[in-house]
Formats: sequence, C-alpha cells, structure tokens
Amino acid sequence: MSKIPEGLLYSKDHEWIRVEGGVGTVGITDHAQHALGDVTFVDLPKAGTEVSQGEEACAVESCKAAASVFAPASGRIVEVNASLADDPGRINADCYGEGWIYRLELSDPGELSRLQTPEQYRQMLASEK
Amino acid sequence: MVDFHGWELPVQYGGILAEHEHCRQAACVFDTSHMGQIRIRARPPELNRVVTQNAAALPVGRCQYGFLLNEAGGMLDDTILMRLDEEEFLLVVNAGPAESDFAWVSGHLPDAEVVHQSAQGWGKVDLQGPLSAKVLAPQSDAQLRSLGYFRVTRARVCGRECILSRTGYTGELGYEVFAPAESILAVFRGFATHPAVKPAGLGARDSLRLEMGYPLYGEDIGVETNPFEANLGGFIRLDHDFIGSAALRAAGEPTRRRVGFITRSRQRAWRGNEIWHEGRAVGQVTSAAFSPSLGVSIGMGYLPPELAQAGTELIVKTPRSDLPATVAAWPLYKQGTCRTKEP
Repeated sequence: MSKIPEGLLYSKDHEWIRVEGGVGTVGITDHAQHALGDVTFVDLPKAGTEVSQGEEACAVESCKAAASVFAPASGRIVEVNASLADDPGRINADCYGEGWIYRLELSDPGELSRLQTPEQYRQMLASEK
Repeated sequence: MVDFHGWELPVQYGGILAEHEHCRQAACVFDTSHMGQIRIRARPPELNRVVTQNAAALPVGRCQYGFLLNEAGGMLDDTILMRLDEEEFLLVVNAGPAESDFAWVSGHLPDAEVVHQSAQGWGKVDLQGPLSAKVLAPQSDAQLRSLGYFRVTRARVCGRECILSRTGYTGELGYEVFAPAESILAVFRGFATHPAVKPAGLGARDSLRLEMGYPLYGEDIGVETNPFEANLGGFIRLDHDFIGSAALRAAGEPTRRRVGFITRSRQRAWRGNEIWHEGRAVGQVTSAAFSPSLGVSIGMGYLPPELAQAGTELIVKTPRSDLPATVAAWPLYKQGTCRTKEP
C-alpha cells in the first residue's frame, strides 16, 4: 500500500507538492518511486527556470526506466535538492522528506485546485489497479 | 515480472542495486531456466562442423565459449559447449534463438542424437558471487577445488542429480546447475534459503554482465555481426572447418569493433544513442546501464577500429544531454572473482 501523506496535493502524474507561504516543495510519490525502482540519477532543474503547470521540469532515471517529473503548478524554481546528485537513492528511502526534488515560487496559486487531495489520489491509484 | 522471449522473468526481487552489490560481495541465485539447453550425442569431428568450438580438442569436463554461425559468418547465437563425456555434449544457448538453434544443430547433424532438453522441462539455476563455493560445498558432493573455471561435472546438488559447471554471466566465482524441473526447483530453494544468498533478477544480471563486457545476444551481437567485429575473435580458433569458417577466413579486417565505455556521470545512455567523436557521429550504443560497482553509467557499442582503443574520448548523445565518455578496456569492473584459483 503506497504512502499518501495528508497535507500534500497530488498530480495525476504522481508528483506531490507541499505549499507553504506561496512556495511549493515538489517530489514524486511513494507509488512512483516504487514503480521506478532504485533511482540512479536525477536530472535536476536549474534554479531560476520558469515552468508551467503540467510541463516537464526535470527527469529521474532508475535501473529500469527514465521518467519525466512534471511541474504540478506554474512558477519559478527557487531551490533544488542538490544532495540528490550524489545520493539519488534518497528518493526511494524518503520520497516525501529528504527525497524532495525542487521548490517552486507559485505564480498562480489558483491552479492548485486542479490537483488532487490525498483521498482523490488514493482513489485514482485504486482505480488504476 | 517481464516477458522475455515468452518466459515470465523477474526483473528484481528486492531491488536491482542491492542485488547487484550482494552478488559482488556475497552470493546471489538466479533462475535462468529460460536459457536453452541442447544435449548432443555426436562424434566430435562431426560436431566440429557446426560449432566454432573445437569439440575434438576440448577435454572431457571442460567448457568453451563460442558461436553458432551461418555461412556468412554471422552469429546465430553465442553459446557455451560443455563436454560431459567422450561423445556427449551440452550446448547452452540463449532463450530467444533456442528453438532455431536446435533446428539448426539437429539439421546439420543427421547422424547425431540431439535433444532440446530445456524444451523438455530441464531448468537452470546460477549461483554467483565470491561466497558461492562456500554456499555450494556443503550442499554438493562435487570436488569444488578441482572444478576450475570453465569446468563441468555431474554432481549431486541439494540432493539431486545435476550437471554442475563453474561458469556464469556475472564475472564472479560461480556455478550453473542444470537439472529437470522438479530437481531445479529444489536446487533454487536450497540456495535461496541459505543466509548468505539473495535471489536476483534480470536487472542485476544485466548490470553485472555489462560491467564485465559480456555481450547480450540480440542487443550487442546478432546475425549481422561476425565475431571479429564483436571483439570476440579471441574465442575463434580457425584450426578446424565449421559453418562460417570460410567466410571468416575471407573476411578482411573488421570495419567496426565492439567497445566498452565509461561515462563520468550517473546519467545513463540508452541503446540506439549515437556516439560522437571530434564532432561527428561514429557509432551507436548497443546496451548501457548505471554501473553500481563504478558509481557511473557505462555501456557498449560499435566504433570504427581506429577509435576502438582504450582512452578514446567520446560523446554519447542521449535525448537529454551529451554525456562525455571514454573507451575503456574490459572488464570495466576489474575485481571480479570468476577466475579465482581457491574457491
């Protein structure tokens, strides 16, 4: 059973975002990290990059596959988790904590209403089985 | 689970990185029952016409790597020939071409007895890793000290009659066990329940073999490559005539060579990526992966012979970036224990 913490919002592409004071922290969900398997590389975005909701912001590679990480909301990337360069396995070990990927200064907080609550994301995963 | 030539195979059990590292440090068991096993009862001079290995010169109890070639010298498969008795051989082949290999071998040996034993329920289990002899010894009556690299014997393993060879696809000390299905299941369980052993899947098998430079049939070598292009010419002895030998003798210097490369990044390359050198495309990647042992991504591909020396600087063009890489001598991982004299 995938972990789906309360207090976060979830995209259909299996990203999560935690919004605090106009800044969103973004990562991939437990379901996504499990499906990917051991993450071996994170192609981190550059701080300062502007992204739109649903646009590819960066990518992760695992022993099995490569996957795009889409921006769950529009904004400017203000910080990236540089520790993932040497230790991408943090995404497997702690995808909602030390495995966060980047922080985004939101340009349109209204877009967040298009994301899913934990309960909606849980239902989406259940319906995909 | 993935479909591999009609076989349902696990990519991983616990995690590819952990399985890979466990195989390098301890021992892993692999279910390799998808691989083809062709039992051949033939006079060695007859068998010599079909395989590149010299069956007549191969002592009983020894194994040799080689190929089934077509008349043009293209590889129908890469194989290990094991001599079990004066006139009894086991040819271990890949899963994909197993059926056509069997038809090819039996068609070219009308006077021999050729049995596709893996199609009749025989399976195979590989025990690989520096601790594999310690795991195997108490579960087998084989004299492991005298079972050197590329030797084969009949033995009891986990209480079952098996064929046991000291061969493998990981670069580590290891064994391959061949037996009928009900026995091979007992062997797998016997190994997998040992506290030092973890089961490992196709994913780790791929990164382990890539670190050693072992080709994967259908990816790195195929019917359109000859052994010299594939940098496997050292396994060819043109000391006897076999199907394809005339073509190999007539072939000039190869126009491309299979090489290994090491990148300086964790970011991986992909099969089909172009390889560039000094601003022009010079070749293609045939397989690639993140190397858990080296901590960077590695791969193999084909380059013009003049660029095939270790040290040649390359750029591998992945869809996301240009990866600097260097041609490196095989094995890329140098600490493999497969040749150890004291198992």
